[in-house]
Order: sequence, then C-alpha cells, then structure tokens
Amino acid sequence: MKIDNTKAQMRKGILEYCILGILESSDAYASDIIETLKKAKLIVVEGTLYPLLTRLKNAGLLEYRWEESSSGPPRKYYSLSKSGKTFLKELELTWEELQTAVKIITNTPK
Amino acid sequence: MNKTININLSGIIFHLDEDAYNLFKSYLTEVKNALESQEGREEIILDIEARIAELFALRLEQSRHEVITIDDVNFICDTLGAPNDFKEEEESNKTHQKETKSKKRLFRNPDEKVIGGVSSGIGAYFGVSMIWIRVIFLLLLFTTGIGFLSYVILWAAIPQAKTTAQKLQMKGEPVNLSNIEKSVKEELNGVKERFGEFRIESKGNSKSFLHFLERVANFILQVFERVIKFIFNFFNIILIIFASILAFVLFMILFGIIGGAWNVGSLNFVSINGNLLGLNVAEAILGKGIDLTLIRIGALLVLLFPLLGLITIIAKALGKTLTKGKLFNVIGGISFFIGLAFVLYAGGQVANSFKVGATEVRKIKLSGDVFDIRTDLLEYNKGFLFEIDDQNLRIDNVSLQIKKSKDSTARLIMKHKARGKNNSDARQRAQVFDYPFEQNGGYLILSECFSVPKEALYRGQELKLTLHLPVGNEIFLDPSIENLIFDIENVHNIWYGNMVGHTWRMSQKGLVCLDCEEIEYFNESEMEDTKEIQLKIKDLESEIKRLKNE
Repeated sequence: MKIDNTKAQMRKGILEYCILGILESSDAYASDIIETLKKAKLIVVEGTLYPLLTRLKNAGLLEYRWEESSSGPPRKYYSLSKSGKTFLKELELTWEELQTAVKIITNTPK
Repeated sequence: MNKTININLSGIIFHLDEDAYNLFKSYLTEVKNALESQEGREEIILDIEARIAELFALRLEQSRHEVITIDDVNFICDTLGAPNDFKEEEESNKTHQKETKSKKRLFRNPDEKVIGGVSSGIGAYFGVSMIWIRVIFLLLLFTTGIGFLSYVILWAAIPQAKTTAQKLQMKGEPVNLSNIEKSVKEELNGVKERFGEFRIESKGNSKSFLHFLERVANFILQVFERVIKFIFNFFNIILIIFASILAFVLFMILFGIIGGAWNVGSLNFVSINGNLLGLNVAEAILGKGIDLTLIRIGALLVLLFPLLGLITIIAKALGKTLTKGKLFNVIGGISFFIGLAFVLYAGGQVANSFKVGATEVRKIKLSGDVFDIRTDLLEYNKGFLFEIDDQNLRIDNVSLQIKKSKDSTARLIMKHKARGKNNSDARQRAQVFDYPFEQNGGYLILSECFSVPKEALYRGQELKLTLHLPVGNEIFLDPSIENLIFDIENVHNIWYGNMVGHTWRMSQKGLVCLDCEEIEYFNESEMEDTKEIQLKIKDLESEIKRLKNE
C-alpha cells in the first residue's frame, strides 16, 4: 500500500465536488477552474482535469458555451446544469456527514 | 539558423523550432495514447490542444518572441503533466481496475533461471508461476522430446531482459484477450496514422528525391514493425489455443486413469466391448499388484498439476484470475514430484523385470508330408500386441521360417523367448507357453498367436517357428500365413509377400516355386534369363513339330 496512492485517491474523490462548487458561485473557463484548484493545491498538473470536465459534461452535470478570447482560441465557458445543481446539493450533504464522521472519530479521546 | 515548422492548434498558427516540434509531437502522441480507452477522447484532446494554444499565445506575448522554442514545450509538459496524469481520472472511475502497467513483452528472465530463463520468462508473461511452465516442459521432454526442441527454439528466439525497463516490461500488463484486442487495435490505428502523416509529409516536403526515398524507407520499416507486432498478438491467441488443447488432452488422460486406462502412448481411452484396452496393456505388463496401483496414482499426481496449471493459464488469458496461494503451488509441486517418483519407481521395477532373456525350444515331428500350410483364421479381438482374458495372455508375436530338413522327416521347431528379472525367472517364463496348431492329413494349420498364463505377465515373449521340410516335399503356402512369415529363403529370391498363394518344392538348394509367373516375381536379370530359355524352348518345340511332320 503506497501512501501517495491513498492520498491521490482521497483527493480524486472530492475533486468532482470542488469543481461543481467552483461553478456554483459563477460560470468559469476551464483555465479559471484550473487556476482555483491549483491555488488550493488540489491538483498539481492540468492534464488531470480535462478528462474529468468532459466526463461531468457528458453526464449532464455541466453545460458550456463558446466565448471568444482576445489572446487565444475561443474558450469553453462552463456552467452548472439543473441536474448538476441537485447533484452538488447531495454532495454537500455527504461532505458534511463525512466531515462530522471524521471529526468524531479522530477527536474521540482514547 | 533554425528551421521552423508551422502547426495549427485550435485554429491558431504557431511557428515551432524543429526540435521543439519533435518534442511537442511526441508529447501529444503519448497523451493521445494515454487517453486511448477514455470516453470522449476526441473532445478531451481538442480541449487540451485549445489549452496549449492558449498557453503558447500567453508565452509568446510575455517573451515577445515569434517562435515557440523547446523551453515553451517543456513548460507545457510541466503544466499539463506527464501523459500518465491524463489517465488518472479513468482509474478513479473504475477503482477495481489494476494499476497501470506498461505493455508486456516476452523476455527470458536472467534472474530466475535454471537453463536459459525461458520458463520463468514465459511464466512472467502469462502471470503464472514458472513452476507450471517448467513442469510442462519436463513433461513434454519425457513423453515426446518436443520439450527439448521447443525449449531450444524459444531460447534462441526470445531475447533476454537486460535493462530494468525490460525486466519491468517482462512483468507488465497481463496478457488477456481484451488486452490483445486493444493492442491489435492500437497497431492498426498506428499504421493508419503513419500512413496519413506520410501522405501529408510527402506532399509538403517533396523538395528532394533523396528525402522522399528516406521517408518511404522509414515508412516501410515502421509498417513492417507493426505487422510483426500484429502477428505476435496472434501468436498469443495461438498459445492460448495450444494451452487449451493440451489441457483437454491431459484431462482425457486423467479421465482414462480414473476410468482404468493409463496407456498414454497409444491413447487407448476408448472402451471396446466394455474392455478398456489401455487397462489390458497395463495389466499385462504390471499384473494386478502394487506396481499398477503405484503407476496409476503416480500418473494421476503427475498429470493433475500441469492440468491445473493450464487451466489457470487459460483462465488468465480469458481475463479471469483464479486465486491460488503459495501453498497451492507448494502442494502441487510436491504432489508432482511424489507422483513422478512413483512412476519412476514402478517403471524401474518393470524395466528390471525385462533384464535377462531365455529361450525354450520344442521340436515336434510331423507325420508324413505337409502339402498345405495355413492359419486357423480365427477372428480374435486383436488389441495392441496382445489380448487378455480370464486366465490367459494371448500374444501375437509369432513368426514362421521354412528350412530344409536334414533327414526325410518334416519337423516344426518352436523357439519361445521370454525375459525376466534373472536367469531362472526368464527360463521359467520361457517354459510356459501354449501354441495351438493342428496337423490334419497334409494340412498344417497354425495359429497367429500363442498364449501364456496371465500370471506370467508380458515379458517380451516371442515365438519363432521353423518348419523343416525334407527334400522333395511340395507345399502350398496359403495367403493366410502372410502375417507370420517375414523372410523365407528361396532360390528365386522372391520377396516373401509374393511367396504366398503358390506351391513350392523343397530342393537341395532351397525352395523352388512351381507355379510362379516369372514376369511378376523374378528380378530383372533372372527374368531375362528365363525369357531366353523360354524362347529356346519354343524354338525347340517348333523344331520337334517340324521334325514330326516330316
């Protein structure tokens, strides 16, 4: 069992939740999402994100529209779909539950 | 001065240094390969290309350069991550999937070897313990000798894993049908892509003929390489099929052992009239004693292990892993060697009981002349070499010779040979045999087989008959004795197979044919002689007629 592997697994699990969370407040370009995630040190390299975004979009959780860019090619502008919003609500609930659960377990004096 | 290459990324044109272009191209290819099995691959790649274009544009703006250098490409690689990072997502999707491993290649394993590391290499390739492979090789070696030949060929054909990377590849992704299918597809795609590139490149770069030739040569080489890989993948499938067949045969043999027959050599698993032929052979040689039991148990133990091994291999190839622990391997290995010991011990016992030979001679005077010799033509259930009933072992190893008698009596001499552990054992066995024959007037009726008591067991018994005929004796060799005769001397040197069906007379020099047609049977020089003689006779006859008429 490798520690890196476990870490990556934990991070991966909440990555979807975080992406949906970023898009809840405002629509964003892929590069914006990447920047935010990078700042939070949730991802190290960008490559990880593209397959994930496409998958969420194909699952109907995300929508996008093309926006012209002044510096480069047109960019995808992502937003939450209706089902994405309900999905996020459920994830938020689960996250709360998990947090409490972990807190209870790790804080219980032995 | 540097050459630049133009590329189009998401509709924007970039100028890349040649080395930057090469690096970038191989990076993109690897990313594409990494995303091979990903859903929505095309779209992901477009997104990634768009992102790269964005980053390139940003870099150019910052540096105020016009050309993308290798530094920019390296920056892209760092930012987007190694090709394998793109794959991560797919795995979180299917958590049960195995770790990413590089594609497997067949190597000889230099770290774990007895001879050339072939077995451990193949074992690693199929993800099974090398013990299985060794056992199969050993089995093939002992039974047919194919083991030796195939080992040498594989030794020569399979490269040794030298570098660490090769050793990793040796133990890489397990070979199963879905992986084979995947890699076949990859190869085909690769060929298509190369072909597309080749067309584009040859259009764009038709500067010099030499350049063009170089590209053609490269292209052919690559196609060739891919074809070889493609064939190798089929080789995998063939291996799986071969393993299946081998497993089936082993299963049949095991079935035979349990059912009673173990005779592998003649593959007599089939029961005829409720009589297992293989069992007959085993019983005739081993008796019903401890040796038979030993060999049966031994063969069962020896065969069970490789059979289980083959089933594991096939299951693996079909993508199902059968859980089996170290203990299983150890027990399987021990049972194999115990079984082998049983078989070798019993085999040694049997070989030992064939050590010494002895001969018993019986001379029988025949009353009067023999003018016809034939066999009884009794239909009997002919097994392999012999058949067995409740009391007797009937052996068909009988041969007949015809010689000149020294006096005026006809005699039949029987020489019965048998083998045994020691002299007295062999002599005793040689003494007990029963050969049924009959003299009915001038007819001598022989039998095609003789019998020994069942308890005497089969110990290489054979019966040599010699019929001694007095000079002047005429005898008809019935075609039914063809199975008994092998090489009977005669004055014409006629092949024995052509001697039957004719009447012969014993002369001082040997047997003379009385009714053979010379054209059929005589060898060429003799034929010429006879023709001459016949012509002379005809001449003489016409001469006589002429004289008579006169």
